[in-house]
Amino acid sequence: MRSDQPTNPSIFQDVVLTAPTIRCGSCVAKIERSLTGIPGVARVRANLTLRRINVTLAQADGALQNVLAELENIGHPSRLIDSADLSAEAKDDTEVALLKAVAVSGFGAMNVMLLSVAVWSGASDATRDSFHLISGMIALPIVLYAARFFFTSAWGALRRASMNMDVPIALAIALALALSIFETLRGGEEVFFDAAVTLTFFLLIGRYLDYRMRGKARSAMAGLQRLAVREAWEVTSEGALRVVAADAICPGMVLRILAGERTPVDLRITSGASDLDRSLVTGESAPVAVAAGDEVEAGALNLTGPVDAVALRPVSESFLAMSMRMLAGAEESRSTYVRIADRAAQLYAPLIHLVAFATFVGWSLATGDWHRAAFVAISVLIVTCPCALALAVPVAHVVASSRLMAEGILIKDGSALERLANATRAVWDKTGTLTDGSPVLVENLDATPNACAAATLAAYSAHPVARCIATAQIGPALLVDEVSEYPGFGVEGRINGRRARLGRPSWVADIAGEMTKGDGPAFAFAGEQMQRFPLRETLREGANEAVGALRGAGLPSEILSGDAPAAVASVAAQLEIQDTQAGLTPQDKVTHLQDLLAQGERPLMVGDGLNDTAALATAHVSMSPASATEAGRAAADFVFLREGLDAVPLALSVARRTAAIVRQNFGLAIAYNCIAVPLAIAGHVTPLFAAIAMSGSSIAVVANSLRLNRRRMTPSAPRLQEVTV
Amino acid sequence: MMENLTIAERQQAMLLSGGLALVGLVLAIVGHGDAMGAHGWITLFFAGGLFFVVGNALYAPEPTLDRTTNYYDDPTKVGILLSLFWAVVAMGVGVWVAAQLAWPDFRFDAPWSSFGRIRPVHTSGVIFGFGGNALIATSYHVMQRTSRARLAGHVSPWFVLLGFNLFCIIAASGYLMGITQSKEYAEPEWYADIWLVIVWVTYFVLYMRTLARRNEPHIYVANWYYMAFILVVAVLHIVNNLAVPASFGAAKSYSAFSGVQDAMTQWWYGHNAVAFFLTAGFLGMLYYFLPKRAGRPIYSYRLSILSFWGIVFFYIWAGSHHLHYTAVPQWVQTLGMTFSVMLLVPSWASAGNALMTLNGAWGKVRDDATLRFMMVAAVFYGLSTFEGSFMAIRAVNSLSHYTDWTIGHVHAGAMGWVALITFGSIYAVVPILWRREGMYSPKLVEWHFWLALSGTVIYVFAMWNSGIIQGLMWRTYTESGTLAYSFTDSLVAMHPYYVARTIGGAFFLSGAIIGAFNVIMTIRKVREDTPELDYPTKSEAGEPAVPAAE
Amino acid sequence: MTILHLLIPVTLVMGLTGLGAFFWSLRNRQYEDLEGDAERILHDDNDTPMPPRKETIR
Repeated sequence: MRSDQPTNPSIFQDVVLTAPTIRCGSCVAKIERSLTGIPGVARVRANLTLRRINVTLAQADGALQNVLAELENIGHPSRLIDSADLSAEAKDDTEVALLKAVAVSGFGAMNVMLLSVAVWSGASDATRDSFHLISGMIALPIVLYAARFFFTSAWGALRRASMNMDVPIALAIALALALSIFETLRGGEEVFFDAAVTLTFFLLIGRYLDYRMRGKARSAMAGLQRLAVREAWEVTSEGALRVVAADAICPGMVLRILAGERTPVDLRITSGASDLDRSLVTGESAPVAVAAGDEVEAGALNLTGPVDAVALRPVSESFLAMSMRMLAGAEESRSTYVRIADRAAQLYAPLIHLVAFATFVGWSLATGDWHRAAFVAISVLIVTCPCALALAVPVAHVVASSRLMAEGILIKDGSALERLANATRAVWDKTGTLTDGSPVLVENLDATPNACAAATLAAYSAHPVARCIATAQIGPALLVDEVSEYPGFGVEGRINGRRARLGRPSWVADIAGEMTKGDGPAFAFAGEQMQRFPLRETLREGANEAVGALRGAGLPSEILSGDAPAAVASVAAQLEIQDTQAGLTPQDKVTHLQDLLAQGERPLMVGDGLNDTAALATAHVSMSPASATEAGRAAADFVFLREGLDAVPLALSVARRTAAIVRQNFGLAIAYNCIAVPLAIAGHVTPLFAAIAMSGSSIAVVANSLRLNRRRMTPSAPRLQEVTV
Repeated sequence: MMENLTIAERQQAMLLSGGLALVGLVLAIVGHGDAMGAHGWITLFFAGGLFFVVGNALYAPEPTLDRTTNYYDDPTKVGILLSLFWAVVAMGVGVWVAAQLAWPDFRFDAPWSSFGRIRPVHTSGVIFGFGGNALIATSYHVMQRTSRARLAGHVSPWFVLLGFNLFCIIAASGYLMGITQSKEYAEPEWYADIWLVIVWVTYFVLYMRTLARRNEPHIYVANWYYMAFILVVAVLHIVNNLAVPASFGAAKSYSAFSGVQDAMTQWWYGHNAVAFFLTAGFLGMLYYFLPKRAGRPIYSYRLSILSFWGIVFFYIWAGSHHLHYTAVPQWVQTLGMTFSVMLLVPSWASAGNALMTLNGAWGKVRDDATLRFMMVAAVFYGLSTFEGSFMAIRAVNSLSHYTDWTIGHVHAGAMGWVALITFGSIYAVVPILWRREGMYSPKLVEWHFWLALSGTVIYVFAMWNSGIIQGLMWRTYTESGTLAYSFTDSLVAMHPYYVARTIGGAFFLSGAIIGAFNVIMTIRKVREDTPELDYPTKSEAGEPAVPAAE
Repeated sequence: MTILHLLIPVTLVMGLTGLGAFFWSLRNRQYEDLEGDAERILHDDNDTPMPPRKETIR
């Protein structure tokens, strides 16, 4: 099983493919087995969790194509994943640092707890003192390492003369440590090392989960920016390859785009032929063949083989840059939404400072023992542990997010769940959202000579319109020669010696006798009458049920579309939607949504195409199918992987239930505080009590959030193949 | 087996065994007149025998195939057989020792057959002989299969396996001769302890090297459990056995610790030996062989990883629950009690994970006795960890300490969990190793299962009863404040339970004998034509995947 | 309980080793595909080792 010599033996490339049909371990094994034998493949690893395949490939012509073909062969059609999606998910440094801090503080908490339990169980005198010392030696470095996130954040807030949630936390931890050190040195009976480390541990868990949820809130802007290529290969005058920064590309420069790379600027191809994914523009990810002379915009993905091209415009004037500018305005409005947790924090921080300070003053005045007063005040700070509060939201969101992921719904941001829960209206795009983008013949065709000929020609094209004619099973295929496809126009060939064309009516009209009025693509033999094939759209699976379910949940629907009024009306009638607007430009859609927002509505927008991107960003909350364009997926809050629209009511139901759980969590946290704070003020909070209280409240919140996992939410949603053995 | 070793490796083996034989000779000479001398002779004959076995085949043909294209299973096969051998021997001694409780004269009027001497033969024999060999053998199997790479050495696996068995032989023979440190599960003396350290370090290095050269990038969770077992047991063994020999020419040594310090160290070792030898290691077995046999992935892989780290961090401090109501300070006892209760969480996580893996495949459990062994083992694991945590509570312990209930608890864990998962794994792995379609007689596997289960139940029920009776009798006071029952009274009351205990043990032993027979017959069956493997319960490729709950 | 002067440090060192091992496993990307890793053991149908991973230059 040796690999053949690749064209460029020194260049291996890692590509990542997405393979949504991976279901189980045997798929993984089958894929890895089949792909390992392909020449040029150095390494294959399939990932069942993410439904992806990582392949290390030699940079040879056709290597990638062979891999994709083999995957199609074994029943796992895949396509290249975009670097945008990938880098959006990459664990960044902060996330890893947080996880390490969680591990360290967890370890520390357990060890300090063991020493504390020993003391609480009655170890006394010298033993107790030495245990305090050891606890301190463990706790101090661990807290300084793990809790640094809180300290830096609190310091940052204080320097800006403002307050955030981390100020009381940092204060509690620091004071607990200081007090404990003081007590240890003086041989005191009670220390709070345990509380300091455990507090750090629980809060870090909350922080980590929160970061993971927030981390996915990339703006569409950033998503589009990631489509922008930073570097490219320039072909020098001697024919060698040299790296050049995207910003430095001037019009006229010759570039080489390798397979798996994106075009950095708008280009015209000078040599080579390949297939490109131009979904950024056309919305279709079906490969488009390009060859010398074709113009390609920035952001297209080269699928098969290397091509050389000359740059037409600098990066700043590229199509991609234009799209980004359009988005910028739409996104500004989104950032003003304040999440529930942040709103709670604004109230919480000053409140507990006040209470702790009042406790200190009160005790000092009452007993004159400032040492005891400090002790009690610090215990108040510790016990008003924002653990429960810090966990209340992120845990619920994480559980909800994994519940949604299991149903094939990806969520970008925790706040999206909150926004979906309070949506008041559903706004739908038509083409590609309510309809599935594949046309169907309006009437069945009889086996007339024209129809048979049209079907025969249609078989030579992969275009969706051609496919629907070819698969209409009109009649036996005829003999045809000299067939060629003209991208953008249609298919031409000779049938029984007669020239024939199928495709765009104006192009067919060039050889036809007369133009026939009507809808749909045209077919004609040279010199004869043109025949039209009217098409209609098919509703996406589950569209009716989804609209009905939303209506039942209190969300009326409306359609916004750029298509002709007749087409829109036909779809609306099938779905029983009254509010429709047709013939809209992208800007019109944005304006309409802004009007809705101004009226106090909170619209949920569901859309897919590039012409929806700004609208998706403007709406209160948005969803798009995975078949959407790049930018559409980047702009939407939710992306659903399955074909059917049942994802929409399902996501709504999960979002509402999450909001309820979050409210309950807050309730639990408040109830806990109501019990714990008076006890603390009264001076009853010992370190043991604090430890139990913290753990108890945190566990309660987590346990409550786990209720989201129970599957009793969506009787209407068709489930993935459930297994019974 | 020699044909799988190169000449260089055989030479290496001869060097090692020759060296060991020399050491044995030295021990024999230096220890002349002491029991240690006898151990010297045993070592000499053991190593010398190996030397000649290898020497005879020194120039046999060398392996021709590229050895990296298949796994190295010879040590695994021998390890399984040794494990079964020790099972029969040590369980046999166990039945004997139980019988002596009921019939004290059931001995040969000779010191070697007294209760105090044969009891540790049983305990060490089952834990180290049966369990230890099973762990070593299955770890060789699991680490190779999950790493998709061959063992990182050809001599060191044998060194570990055979060296370990030498340790077991020294231990058992030593007990019969009266050699003991009097530390539970750590009775062998200083020279045997040193030897075990050498063997164990080799084991650790072998494991790490094999993992380092793995072709499968992911290290399957079972390997983590095995690694923890190897590493922690090494540390525990070393610390607990720190001792000063009275002289280098005799077996007797003095522990570095004494009094309550020694007691604490002993039970820090003793309980963690249970935790990492009898739990972590066998969990490694469970996490590989149960899903493999059932043809389904672990219910929650994430949970298995979490409970691994939970066990690693929680278990270490539970030891002092063995010392309730002793001279150890109260707070130490409370500490042990607290952690013992807390470690219920990771334990039940594992048991639950195992059972949920089978959820929906109960038909397979019904039809496949091998799988049923493993399932019942998981159930007993959950039961005995609960029982253990319960008994660690001081109030409960005030009834159970020093009674037969403790023994009942040990055997619920040892027979119900450890032995059952081992037998299940052996029945799962033997057909694979020897390329058979299945065990020689599935019916005998069923027989074994039911004998083992009923033996365990009889034993444990008997001990629950006797233990509670003992505890109650010992703390029953008359109105005048004196004890109502004398110790002898409680002893007499025990008699029927000791008989039952012997019967339960005998059932269990018969099962083990049947198992050994079944394995031997499986090996002796004519080799099948097709080299393909077929598990008795085929894992259907067409079976839909189970959605894992994460 | 002077023995704890020995036992506690020993336990701490073991614990730290465990923590170190955990960090290593994070760095070595052991948790990237938990579902797939649980399934992989079920699919080594021909019971032979895999060929060693090839060296590649990027």
